[in-house]
Amino acid sequence: MTAPGPTAAFRLTDEQRDLRDAVRVLARERVAPRAAEIDRTAEFPWDLKELLASQDILGLPYPVEYGGLGADLLTTCLAIEALSAACATTGLIVAVHELAALPIVMAGTADQKTRWLPDLAAGRKLVAFALTEAGAGSDAGAIATRAVRDGDDYVIDGSKRFISQGSVADLVTVFAVTDPGGKRHRNLSCFVVETDRPGFSVGRLEHKMGIRGSPTAELLFDGVRVPASNLLGREGEGFSLAMRTFERSRPGIAAQAVGIAQGALDVAARYANERVQFGKPIADFQMIQAMLADMDAQTEAARALLYTACAAIEAGDGDAGRWAAVCKLVAGDTAMRVTTDAVQVLGGYGYVDDFPVERMMRDAKITQLYEGTQQIQRLVVARSLLAARR
Amino acid sequence: MLAKPVPDTTGQERLGPDFRVDRAASPAVVNANDDYALEAALKLRETAGEGSVTLLAMAPATAPDTLRKALAMGADSGVLVTDDALAGSDTLSTARVLAAALGKLDYDMVLAGADTSDGGTGTIGAGIAALLGLPYLSYAARIVPGGGRVRVHRISPTGFDVLDSPLPALIVATQALGEPRYPSLKGIMAARSKTIQVWSLADLGLDPATVGGATSTTRVLRTQAPPPRAATRVVRGPADAAAAELVTFLAERRLI
Amino acid sequence: MAGIVVVGEVGGDGHLARISAEVATLARSLGSAAGVAVRGLVVAADPAIAAAELARYLPNVESVAAPELADHVPAQRIATEAVRVAADADYLVLGASPDGRDGAGIVSVLLGWGVLANATGVTWEDGGPVVEMSVFGGRLDTWSGFAAGKGIVTVRPNVVDATEQGSVGRVTTAAGDGRELVPTVRIVERVAESTGAAPIEEARIIVSGGRGVGGPDGFRIVEELAEALGGAVGATRAAVDAGWIPYAQQIGQTGKIVKPALYVALGISGAIQHKVGMQTAGTIVAVNRDPDAPIADFADLVVIGDLFEIVPAVVGALRARSA
Repeated sequence: MTAPGPTAAFRLTDEQRDLRDAVRVLARERVAPRAAEIDRTAEFPWDLKELLASQDILGLPYPVEYGGLGADLLTTCLAIEALSAACATTGLIVAVHELAALPIVMAGTADQKTRWLPDLAAGRKLVAFALTEAGAGSDAGAIATRAVRDGDDYVIDGSKRFISQGSVADLVTVFAVTDPGGKRHRNLSCFVVETDRPGFSVGRLEHKMGIRGSPTAELLFDGVRVPASNLLGREGEGFSLAMRTFERSRPGIAAQAVGIAQGALDVAARYANERVQFGKPIADFQMIQAMLADMDAQTEAARALLYTACAAIEAGDGDAGRWAAVCKLVAGDTAMRVTTDAVQVLGGYGYVDDFPVERMMRDAKITQLYEGTQQIQRLVVARSLLAARR
Repeated sequence: MLAKPVPDTTGQERLGPDFRVDRAASPAVVNANDDYALEAALKLRETAGEGSVTLLAMAPATAPDTLRKALAMGADSGVLVTDDALAGSDTLSTARVLAAALGKLDYDMVLAGADTSDGGTGTIGAGIAALLGLPYLSYAARIVPGGGRVRVHRISPTGFDVLDSPLPALIVATQALGEPRYPSLKGIMAARSKTIQVWSLADLGLDPATVGGATSTTRVLRTQAPPPRAATRVVRGPADAAAAELVTFLAERRLI
Repeated sequence: MAGIVVVGEVGGDGHLARISAEVATLARSLGSAAGVAVRGLVVAADPAIAAAELARYLPNVESVAAPELADHVPAQRIATEAVRVAADADYLVLGASPDGRDGAGIVSVLLGWGVLANATGVTWEDGGPVVEMSVFGGRLDTWSGFAAGKGIVTVRPNVVDATEQGSVGRVTTAAGDGRELVPTVRIVERVAESTGAAPIEEARIIVSGGRGVGGPDGFRIVEELAEALGGAVGATRAAVDAGWIPYAQQIGQTGKIVKPALYVALGISGAIQHKVGMQTAGTIVAVNRDPDAPIADFADLVVIGDLFEIVPAVVGALRARSA
């Protein structure tokens, strides 16, 4: 599954198209009917998680030798996008399942991969990514969770906040300080913590504006003891591992955002054709047409940038971080704008839950906040741009 | 000759050697019942723990995409019989061609989707079985093979009849056999490397003068879009008044 | 003598299937339009009653006793006899029932005759039958004929009303053809799951329930209305998949195709998969809460409201009428 370099005009391969279409069918037939209920009850959709597992969608990004499909970044994003158009929570399941295991895939030894990846690829177990803390959001350098070496183990103390799917995960990739006195970006290490270890517990669950079916948890580490063989890479490599993870996780969130935007656009366009006011469908009115056209253009642009970024990152582009940031930046802002306009097109009906656009607007907001705020993305883009011109 | 703005359904067959099951699929329109036959075949293979499922289709040359979907669901390989001469085949011709193709394959069981939806005649399976001298078991709601024989629950007006037959046999599947699975992503990827053999009439040893559109025993004389229904009358309001209006409507039409 | 042969179907109770009476009526009118003879064929374990009934519709009926049909699928033996009588016939006409289709398929191949199936009308033009059929999900009606002066027609239920000819025709018993032209299939057990209602395709009035009915309890309302109207109960795929009602009553693309005089759709959206099963009904009435449901576009009358309020009111009004 190769894709040409970023400057070449590209097409999806036949296989990418087939996989995307298969996910679309599932999204339409099995996910979409559940979306409103998931949002209303704020319950994690275990049934859909099982469906994603049994259809190999959770295994998409995992290496073939561990039971995954070895799909490239673009293919995984196609799946996330297709699912998110129906339900952002469900799309997020795939996105989290991809990103949270990246530290294992990138830095794990063969033995570590064998221990953890097969269950994840099969969708038998879930994994979460625990970097953020109450005092450390954009400022990853302010992480306070400690991991102290004790014989053949490490003992982890601290707490993480706003961890997506943290309460349903069987494994968590945790970033903790192993060198308190050390240099700011060299003092972090990444560990795999199985959530059935003593001392691990789930604290509060957030009540959120959107993606309400995805549990966002506080994770508490009270003297959690893990063997040294749970350390990924070497001590001090945590920060750089996190940064490398973002190169592949941010496009996943961009895909979620593009999906949400497309879903909202589809609803708004259909509504405009059916809703009759002043004796004609509102689709005949130019102000509506202008809004829809802008929504379409912006979604298409965000999508094109996402696919280009995926191809660049997959091809090993030297500035993968910038590609990840720029596609996430554009997609997140697009999703917010498009969903807000979708509500506008539906007018009063857009504000009530008879129609899904109000949910999509609430869902869209998170894509401007997590996986690096839009402000952080801008810093990354600016730094890359200006460094190149120094 | 009937113009075909929407692709037509042709006969569909499934063949099962060692639980190898063949399936014939129409190119673009999928006979909705076909997937049930395929799903039944896949389940039989899973229960037996062995055997293979082969798809058999008579269709225009564009059909491989439809077969790919069936392969993605889990069939092992496919055979596509295609020939320009087959365009416009009637059911008799279709049965003959599929029977000839089956003559070149090994099987324990042939599974067919009931060709009863839309333009299907519901007769092709019976015709193929007759040509091949196979026991013919139709309208199957349950299929239980064992010991070289098979028991089939055949849907009847009052419930079902339990049929018993030696194998090989030809069985026509119904929706009652169970929902077809979605092709998994691994299945989709694996389908690309599965083989589809393509056979022409020459490969089957059939003379184009004896089958296909040229030999059709029926011909379409004329077609017409059906007359549109009258405008819908919409009734709202309290239940009693609405009910009264409905009853009057039925009485006016002498339905009660 | 050539002419038309009606292959009759016999129900489990030994009586002639209603569809066969309809087919015989149709064939009789074809025969008089064409000036050709029409006769009937009844093959069953005990054919006497059904043959006598068919003789009320046709002047000549051949009756073949086939005791093995007590525990064998009938289509194969019926086909063998049909092949025998076809030596002296041009056209065979059967009901488009499961057994009729099976029989037609076998005979077609044994004789090399074409099949025109699921006829919604048959007339006689230019020396042969012209068969009307509905194709492409109801988007097109076609009229077709046979190329070589021979053929088999299967006819849908409710295409004509069964009308007796007014006199009793002659029944001849025949020994039949003992050969096994195609393998026969043994029935080891017959299982009854329902009350043995007539096949839903034959019903003149059908009341169907869909997703909006909500559950098996909701179907009681559907049954009450069906009973009050003297009709059969049908269902959509959604209701069958949910387990509220057996598959035998499912109407639609993967279920039955019906053409009743009246179809009442309760809590049914009218999506295409269901629509193709009932759209040619004489009159379509729907009850639905959603004014934008597709069924509201093609029904003759739609009541917008809660079916749990509307239907009991209708049942009440119907009972008051007949009181």
